[in-house]
Amino acid sequence: MVDLSALWRWLEGHAGACPYDQEPELERPWLKRWNHLPKRTAGPDFSRADYRSARQRAVEVARTTLGDELWAQLRRDGYLELPSRIYPGVSYRLRVGRRIEVRCANGVRPPWIYPYLCINPSYPLPEVEFFAHLYLYVRDREHEIVRVAAPQPWDQALGRTF
Amino acid sequence: MHRIIVANRRGHQVLEWETTDTQEARALIAEAERIIHEARQKGCVVSKKIDGRHVIDTEPFDPNVEEYQIIAPIAGG
Repeated sequence: MVDLSALWRWLEGHAGACPYDQEPELERPWLKRWNHLPKRTAGPDFSRADYRSARQRAVEVARTTLGDELWAQLRRDGYLELPSRIYPGVSYRLRVGRRIEVRCANGVRPPWIYPYLCINPSYPLPEVEFFAHLYLYVRDREHEIVRVAAPQPWDQALGRTF
Repeated sequence: MHRIIVANRRGHQVLEWETTDTQEARALIAEAERIIHEARQKGCVVSKKIDGRHVIDTEPFDPNVEEYQIIAPIAGG
Protein backbone atom coordinates (compact mmCIF):
# COMPACT_ATOMS: atom_id res chain seq x y z
CA MET A 1 0.00 0.00 0.00
CA VAL A 2 1.37 3.40 -0.97
CA ASP A 3 1.12 6.38 1.38
CA LEU A 4 -0.78 8.87 -0.82
CA SER A 5 0.27 11.92 1.19
CA ALA A 6 3.92 10.87 0.80
CA LEU A 7 3.36 10.38 -2.92
CA TRP A 8 1.82 13.85 -3.20
CA ARG A 9 4.74 15.44 -1.30
CA TRP A 10 7.17 13.65 -3.60
CA LEU A 11 5.31 14.80 -6.72
CA GLU A 12 5.51 18.37 -5.47
CA GLY A 13 9.19 17.97 -4.76
CA HIS A 14 8.92 18.48 -1.00
CA ALA A 15 10.06 15.03 0.09
CA GLY A 16 13.38 13.33 -0.46
CA ALA A 17 12.39 9.90 -1.65
CA CYS A 18 9.70 8.43 -3.82
CA PRO A 19 7.29 6.33 -1.75
CA TYR A 20 7.69 3.56 -4.31
CA ASP A 21 11.34 3.79 -3.42
CA GLN A 22 13.76 1.50 -5.14
CA GLU A 23 17.27 2.20 -6.28
CA PRO A 24 16.81 2.86 -10.01
CA GLU A 25 18.56 0.49 -12.37
CA LEU A 26 22.09 1.58 -13.27
CA GLU A 27 21.68 4.12 -16.07
CA ARG A 28 24.37 4.00 -18.76
CA PRO A 29 23.80 7.35 -20.49
CA TRP A 30 26.28 6.64 -23.28
CA LEU A 31 23.74 4.20 -24.74
CA LYS A 32 21.03 6.84 -25.28
CA ARG A 33 20.53 9.92 -27.40
CA TRP A 34 19.83 13.12 -25.51
CA ASN A 35 19.69 15.78 -28.23
CA HIS A 36 15.90 16.09 -28.02
CA LEU A 37 15.99 17.42 -24.44
CA PRO A 38 15.44 21.12 -23.78
CA LYS A 39 18.48 22.94 -22.42
CA ARG A 40 19.34 22.46 -18.76
CA THR A 41 16.91 19.60 -18.24
CA ALA A 42 17.37 15.91 -17.50
CA GLY A 43 14.28 14.48 -19.17
CA PRO A 44 10.51 14.45 -18.81
CA ASP A 45 10.66 11.56 -16.34
CA PHE A 46 12.59 13.70 -13.84
CA SER A 47 10.66 15.17 -10.89
CA ARG A 48 11.77 18.15 -8.83
CA ALA A 49 12.84 15.70 -6.13
CA ASP A 50 14.96 13.87 -8.73
CA TYR A 51 16.73 17.12 -9.63
CA ARG A 52 17.36 17.92 -6.00
CA SER A 53 18.62 14.44 -5.24
CA ALA A 54 20.85 14.41 -8.34
CA ARG A 55 22.43 17.73 -7.38
CA GLN A 56 23.10 16.52 -3.85
CA ARG A 57 24.71 13.31 -5.09
CA ALA A 58 26.75 15.30 -7.59
CA VAL A 59 28.36 17.31 -4.82
CA GLU A 60 29.59 14.10 -3.19
CA VAL A 61 31.11 12.78 -6.37
CA ALA A 62 32.63 16.10 -7.43
CA ARG A 63 34.35 16.31 -4.08
CA THR A 64 35.73 12.79 -4.31
CA THR A 65 36.86 13.43 -7.90
CA LEU A 66 38.73 16.62 -7.12
CA GLY A 67 40.02 15.69 -3.68
CA ASP A 68 39.57 17.71 -0.51
CA GLU A 69 42.17 20.36 -1.24
CA LEU A 70 40.80 21.41 -4.64
CA TRP A 71 37.26 21.16 -3.35
CA ALA A 72 38.08 23.57 -0.54
CA GLN A 73 39.77 25.90 -3.02
CA LEU A 74 36.68 25.86 -5.25
CA ARG A 75 34.41 26.61 -2.31
CA ARG A 76 36.67 29.46 -1.22
CA ASP A 77 37.36 31.11 -4.60
CA GLY A 78 34.37 30.09 -6.70
CA TYR A 79 36.63 28.80 -9.46
CA LEU A 80 39.66 26.65 -10.21
CA GLU A 81 42.40 27.71 -12.53
CA LEU A 82 44.79 25.51 -14.50
CA PRO A 83 47.76 26.55 -16.62
CA SER A 84 47.83 25.39 -20.22
CA ARG A 85 50.51 22.83 -21.09
CA ILE A 86 50.09 23.61 -24.78
CA TYR A 87 50.02 27.43 -24.82
CA PRO A 88 52.63 29.11 -22.61
CA GLY A 89 51.24 32.02 -20.58
CA VAL A 90 47.65 30.83 -20.99
CA SER A 91 45.43 29.52 -18.20
CA TYR A 92 41.90 28.20 -17.99
CA ARG A 93 39.51 29.42 -15.32
CA LEU A 94 36.73 26.93 -14.60
CA ARG A 95 33.50 27.84 -12.82
CA VAL A 96 30.58 25.56 -12.05
CA GLY A 97 28.01 25.49 -14.86
CA ARG A 98 29.73 28.17 -16.94
CA ARG A 99 31.93 28.37 -19.99
CA ILE A 100 35.70 28.12 -19.50
CA GLU A 101 37.39 31.51 -19.37
CA VAL A 102 40.72 31.66 -21.22
CA ARG A 103 43.13 34.02 -19.50
CA CYS A 104 46.43 35.23 -20.92
CA ALA A 105 49.47 36.72 -19.22
CA ASN A 106 50.54 40.20 -20.32
CA GLY A 107 51.88 40.18 -23.87
CA VAL A 108 50.64 36.67 -24.64
CA ARG A 109 48.55 36.30 -27.77
CA PRO A 110 45.29 34.40 -27.09
CA PRO A 111 45.04 31.05 -28.87
CA TRP A 112 41.37 31.68 -29.67
CA ILE A 113 39.62 34.69 -31.10
CA TYR A 114 37.16 34.78 -28.17
CA PRO A 115 37.86 34.43 -24.42
CA TYR A 116 35.21 31.82 -23.49
CA LEU A 117 35.14 28.16 -24.47
CA CYS A 118 31.78 26.47 -24.58
CA ILE A 119 32.13 22.77 -23.79
CA ASN A 120 29.26 20.51 -22.75
CA PRO A 121 28.92 16.86 -21.75
CA SER A 122 27.27 14.71 -24.39
CA TYR A 123 24.56 13.73 -21.91
CA PRO A 124 22.84 15.69 -19.14
CA LEU A 125 24.70 15.95 -15.84
CA PRO A 126 24.41 18.04 -12.69
CA GLU A 127 26.65 21.04 -13.26
CA VAL A 128 28.97 20.47 -10.31
CA GLU A 129 29.61 16.91 -11.45
CA PHE A 130 30.48 18.06 -14.94
CA PHE A 131 32.70 20.74 -13.47
CA ALA A 132 34.86 17.99 -11.93
CA HIS A 133 34.94 16.14 -15.26
CA LEU A 134 35.95 19.27 -17.10
CA TYR A 135 38.74 19.85 -14.61
CA LEU A 136 40.11 16.36 -15.36
CA TYR A 137 39.91 16.99 -19.10
CA VAL A 138 41.74 20.32 -18.84
CA ARG A 139 44.43 18.92 -16.56
CA ASP A 140 44.93 15.50 -18.16
CA ARG A 141 43.54 15.81 -21.72
CA GLU A 142 44.04 19.40 -22.81
CA HIS A 143 44.34 18.40 -26.46
CA GLU A 144 40.73 17.18 -26.28
CA ILE A 145 39.64 20.55 -24.92
CA VAL A 146 41.47 22.27 -27.78
CA ARG A 147 39.89 19.89 -30.30
CA VAL A 148 36.26 20.37 -29.27
CA ALA A 149 36.14 23.89 -27.82
CA ALA A 150 33.68 26.34 -29.32
CA PRO A 151 35.09 29.84 -28.64
CA GLN A 152 32.46 32.41 -27.68
CA PRO A 153 32.62 36.16 -27.05
CA TRP A 154 30.62 36.08 -23.80
CA ASP A 155 30.08 33.98 -20.72
CA GLN A 156 26.92 31.89 -20.38
CA ALA A 157 25.49 28.91 -18.50
CA LEU A 158 26.15 25.56 -20.13
CA GLY A 159 23.17 24.02 -21.89
CA ARG A 160 23.64 20.32 -21.17
CA THR A 161 24.05 20.63 -17.40
CA PHE A 162 21.40 21.44 -14.81
CA MET B 1 35.32 -2.66 -1.41
CA HIS B 2 36.07 -1.38 -4.92
CA ARG B 3 33.69 0.60 -7.08
CA ILE B 4 32.84 2.33 -10.33
CA ILE B 5 31.09 5.67 -10.11
CA VAL B 6 28.86 6.05 -13.13
CA ALA B 7 28.28 9.77 -13.49
CA ASN B 8 24.85 10.29 -14.97
CA ARG B 9 21.83 12.55 -14.64
CA ARG B 10 21.05 10.97 -11.26
CA GLY B 11 24.23 12.55 -9.93
CA HIS B 12 25.92 9.20 -9.95
CA GLN B 13 25.26 5.54 -9.46
CA VAL B 14 27.72 3.00 -8.18
CA LEU B 15 28.71 -0.56 -8.94
CA GLU B 16 30.74 -2.16 -6.15
CA TRP B 17 32.70 -5.38 -5.89
CA GLU B 18 34.99 -7.31 -3.58
CA THR B 19 38.11 -9.07 -4.77
CA THR B 20 37.34 -12.18 -2.75
CA ASP B 21 37.29 -15.44 -4.68
CA THR B 22 33.56 -16.07 -4.80
CA GLN B 23 31.20 -16.55 -7.68
CA GLU B 24 29.34 -13.34 -6.82
CA ALA B 25 32.57 -11.33 -6.68
CA ARG B 26 33.72 -12.74 -10.00
CA ALA B 27 30.39 -11.86 -11.61
CA LEU B 28 30.53 -8.29 -10.30
CA ILE B 29 34.11 -7.86 -11.48
CA ALA B 30 33.12 -9.12 -14.93
CA GLU B 31 30.20 -6.68 -14.97
CA ALA B 32 32.47 -3.80 -13.92
CA GLU B 33 34.95 -4.65 -16.67
CA ARG B 34 32.15 -4.88 -19.22
CA ILE B 35 30.76 -1.46 -18.23
CA ILE B 36 34.16 0.21 -18.49
CA HIS B 37 34.83 -1.39 -21.85
CA GLU B 38 31.41 -0.40 -23.19
CA ALA B 39 31.73 3.19 -21.97
CA ARG B 40 35.17 3.56 -23.56
CA GLN B 41 33.83 2.14 -26.81
CA LYS B 42 31.17 4.85 -26.77
CA GLY B 43 33.68 7.65 -26.30
CA CYS B 44 33.65 8.05 -22.54
CA VAL B 45 36.82 8.57 -20.56
CA VAL B 46 37.65 6.67 -17.39
CA SER B 47 39.40 8.04 -14.34
CA LYS B 48 40.76 6.25 -11.30
CA LYS B 49 41.49 7.42 -7.80
CA ILE B 50 45.15 7.83 -6.92
CA ASP B 51 46.31 9.41 -3.67
CA GLY B 52 42.90 10.85 -2.89
CA ARG B 53 42.06 12.36 -6.28
CA HIS B 54 41.01 11.17 -9.69
CA VAL B 55 43.24 11.08 -12.76
CA ILE B 56 42.29 10.07 -16.27
CA ASP B 57 43.27 6.47 -16.89
CA THR B 58 43.90 4.62 -20.14
CA GLU B 59 45.07 1.32 -18.68
CA PRO B 60 43.06 -1.90 -18.95
CA PHE B 61 40.55 -2.55 -16.18
CA ASP B 62 42.15 -3.63 -12.90
CA PRO B 63 39.79 -5.05 -10.25
CA ASN B 64 42.20 -3.96 -7.51
CA VAL B 65 41.74 -0.26 -8.26
CA GLU B 66 39.94 1.40 -5.38
CA GLU B 67 37.64 3.60 -7.43
CA TYR B 68 36.95 4.21 -11.10
CA GLN B 69 34.71 6.86 -12.57
CA ILE B 70 33.15 7.08 -16.01
CA ILE B 71 33.51 10.55 -17.43
CA ALA B 72 31.15 11.92 -20.06
CA PRO B 73 32.43 12.61 -23.58
CA ILE B 74 32.58 16.34 -24.32
CA ALA B 75 31.46 18.43 -27.27
CA GLY B 76 31.79 22.06 -28.18
CA GLY B 77 28.83 24.43 -28.22
